[in-house]
Amino acid sequence: MKELTKVEEILLLAIWRLKDDAYGVKIRQYVSQITGKEFTYGNLYSALSQLAKKKYVKKTLGDPTPDRRGRRKITYTISPSGTRALKAARRMNQKMWEDIADYAFD
Amino acid sequence: MRTKKTHPPRIAGWILKHSARYEENFALIGDFDEEYQEIARTKGPFFARIWFWRQCVRSLPVFIKDSVYWRFIMLTNYLKIAFRSLKKHKGYSFINISGLAIGMAVCMLIMVWVLNELSFDRFHENADRICRITMDLEFGTTLHTPVTLTAAGPALIDDFAEIIAAARVDNPRRVSIEYEDKTYQETDVGFAENAIFDIFSFPFVSGDPRTALEAPHSVVITESMARKYFGDDDPMGKILRLNNETDFSVTGVVKDVPANSHFRFNMLRSFQTLIADGDVRDNMWFDVRFYTYLLLDEHTDPRQLEQKLPGFIDKHLGDALKASGGSVVLSLQPLKKIHLYSDFERDISASGDIMFVYLFSGIALFVLLIAGINFINLSTARSSTRAQEVGMRKTLGAVRSRLIGQFLGESMIHSILAMGLSIVLIYLFLPLFKSVIGGELTINFIQTPWWLAAFLGMAVVVGVLAGSYPAFILSSFPPVHVLKGLLKAGGSHSRLRRILVIFQFSISIALIAATAIVYNQITFMKTKELGFNKEHILIIPGMSEGLRKSYRSIRSELMGLSGVIDVGASDLVPSRGHLIAPFLPEGFADDQVLAMDYLDVDAHYIPTMDITIVAGRNFSEDFATDPDESVLINETAANKIGWENPVGKRFVFRPPPNSGGEVFYVTVIGVVKDFHMQSLREKIEPLIIFNDYDSLSMLSLRIAPDNIPHTMALLEKKWKELDPDRPFNYLFLDDSLGSQYRQEERLRTISLYFSLLAVAIGCLGLFGMASFTAEQRTKEIGIRKVLGASVSGIVRLLAKEFMLLVIAANLLALPVAYFAMNRWLQSFAYRTNIHAWIFVLTIALSLFIALITVSSQAIRAALTDPVNSLRYE
Repeated sequence: MKELTKVEEILLLAIWRLKDDAYGVKIRQYVSQITGKEFTYGNLYSALSQLAKKKYVKKTLGDPTPDRRGRRKITYTISPSGTRALKAARRMNQKMWEDIADYAFD
Repeated sequence: MRTKKTHPPRIAGWILKHSARYEENFALIGDFDEEYQEIARTKGPFFARIWFWRQCVRSLPVFIKDSVYWRFIMLTNYLKIAFRSLKKHKGYSFINISGLAIGMAVCMLIMVWVLNELSFDRFHENADRICRITMDLEFGTTLHTPVTLTAAGPALIDDFAEIIAAARVDNPRRVSIEYEDKTYQETDVGFAENAIFDIFSFPFVSGDPRTALEAPHSVVITESMARKYFGDDDPMGKILRLNNETDFSVTGVVKDVPANSHFRFNMLRSFQTLIADGDVRDNMWFDVRFYTYLLLDEHTDPRQLEQKLPGFIDKHLGDALKASGGSVVLSLQPLKKIHLYSDFERDISASGDIMFVYLFSGIALFVLLIAGINFINLSTARSSTRAQEVGMRKTLGAVRSRLIGQFLGESMIHSILAMGLSIVLIYLFLPLFKSVIGGELTINFIQTPWWLAAFLGMAVVVGVLAGSYPAFILSSFPPVHVLKGLLKAGGSHSRLRRILVIFQFSISIALIAATAIVYNQITFMKTKELGFNKEHILIIPGMSEGLRKSYRSIRSELMGLSGVIDVGASDLVPSRGHLIAPFLPEGFADDQVLAMDYLDVDAHYIPTMDITIVAGRNFSEDFATDPDESVLINETAANKIGWENPVGKRFVFRPPPNSGGEVFYVTVIGVVKDFHMQSLREKIEPLIIFNDYDSLSMLSLRIAPDNIPHTMALLEKKWKELDPDRPFNYLFLDDSLGSQYRQEERLRTISLYFSLLAVAIGCLGLFGMASFTAEQRTKEIGIRKVLGASVSGIVRLLAKEFMLLVIAANLLALPVAYFAMNRWLQSFAYRTNIHAWIFVLTIALSLFIALITVSSQAIRAALTDPVNSLRYE
């Protein structure tokens, strides 16, 4: 299994946290908030379609709302292999940051 | 609080929709809308718009990157599938690709040739401003020729300010050239005025183009001539001796004349030579030897200038023409039209023919069309097989546009492979093609890369055109029908397929019929009784002045050789030109001159040629007055003049007014049976034959048919003694007669090859169709066999359909061929009829070919064991 990229890791975490609310608008806003920078829809969907191709996420069609002018939303949920990938990423992060104190780079 | 809904920016929305190409696109756009509305509610529509635009623009690079990436993935996918299908159906692919390749190769070769034909004479810098004077001479007969009045050129310059330069040239001919101790026979040696270099762009390697041909006895030669005679020496000032009598000094060297020039020369002697020698004098109006080229002022319209020419003729020749009752009309022919639009007598070079350009282009298109039709045909024929695949793909979610893309991709691969193959074919068949068109042609894909580009373009266009029909039809099948098996045997497309097969075969059939008719006409022309015996006549042209004086003794020496039966001499021989002049039969008014061909012979020419005398007697050496007072005429002349008993009748010769000469008469002493001086394209003209020993220039020898090489050896030895200075040149009359029909033979070769091609491609298509039909009907055939059908019955069943198509094609093609070829035959004064057997033969041949093509597949299908074909039922 290949390692997740940072963007994929963030997105998967976002999807996991947002649960039922994990669709485009909310994911983007959440990621923008976490990174403190405007995350574009281009980057979002480019990465989401990759995640979908790799089968890390599952797509569910939601209902259209008036604000969306009749377009349905896609809600994402993490697949079992997505969960495994996340766990692997977490283990790797922990190993990387082990023994390093918060002030180490000050 | 709810503000009223605002609409997100339209342009940005449009960009978004068309740049992003994800499966999730609808959700993406929905997300944009939702967030836009949210911002519009909280911060107002203005901020929302800004946000929308910012998002859109910043996302764009990623969208574009991804969409290109996915398209590329799709393309490789199409190609992969296309190659798989190509490998899976090897036979079909082979037929398709080779058919297309042949079509493309032919098309390409012809394109190169056509462009070459169209490029004639365009390399001259002033090509647009150069004209040639042509003349219609009415003098009892019409002479339509580019040879003009000798005095016209200089007079035109004097009279018209818009003519910048005029140059007279003669028709370059064969000349023997001596340098140091070597003698060569050189073709294309002409005379020209120096202005020729002002008019045409023949770049000088050395010498001064302004003065090179100013002095008498100067000559300008081409680079390759310079190399041949002088090697690495400087050619300037060297002396060449021409025809063993006149010395010329080299005053200029020009680059070799390009192959696509109608005016070709190896050497040009100065026109001043002719003036210095007294051959050309001032005011030689009624002298017709030279071609005159004009360079016009930039702003002059040749057609306007042309309208002033009648006035010009009137000014200089009005009185003379009135006296003789003739007329002269001068026209201007633009340089660019000379090669392809000339139909003149005595033209300077064998010209091309715009009809051939059209004919060839048409054939190229047709061959490509036939090949394209094959492609469409085979693809739609296979549609029932492919339909399953399409149905499956559609059920699994393929969009129609993707399917179209896939099919187009497949046909592209076919056509690009075909292109590769056709380049190989082009190189293989280039020599053959050159011999067919009878000219030089080079194709170099490396030196002229745009050829390759054009070729690739053609492959793509053919691929798209030929592939689009199957692509759109196949992709339109509703999957439910296909998978239920409702689309058997191509269904509604079989009608289109039939029409295409008929069309394709009618082209082949028309070409076969045309070839047969051309063959027939050529055989007719070559075997027709010409009025003389053309077998075993040897012609020795170019008798020099010295030989002519001692003609009688030469004749008796030649007669003494074994194998020489008879020897005669004349100024012209059949197929080597004819001369026309006005003659006045006695008792006719002075303005009732009759245009007649005339010929000068000795007393032995007529018996040597076996020309029959129908009344009176031949010239005889026993009558000393024959050379001055007697003539022979042919039957046509007698009829045209209206003499019932021509023997004893006279022609009147009036000297020019004020010349002091006396009127004299010649008497008709005999009438010869009509014989053909010219090709069978031309009618036999009234002919008058003189017994003039001073203008004899060609010897005609009848030799014994056995042991010709021995006779030739004797003759050559004897000739070397008689005329030691010049090589022994000779030709056989029947060869020379045959060469008159070179153009027709070219047409014959062309139509033969192209009908073979058309038949070959058509048969490839028919073969493919037959094999698919047989394949589709495997089960039907199995059941028929189980029920007791015989093999021959099944073959007949399968072949019948195709035979009907071929018969329909015959019905379509033969009337077209008949009318077209009938028109072609009209150009011959003497022609065959279009016999019914030609058409019977064509029908039989086409049926036979089609039957062979189809039956192999039909027999295979009929021989299949029904156990195998019905195994799964």
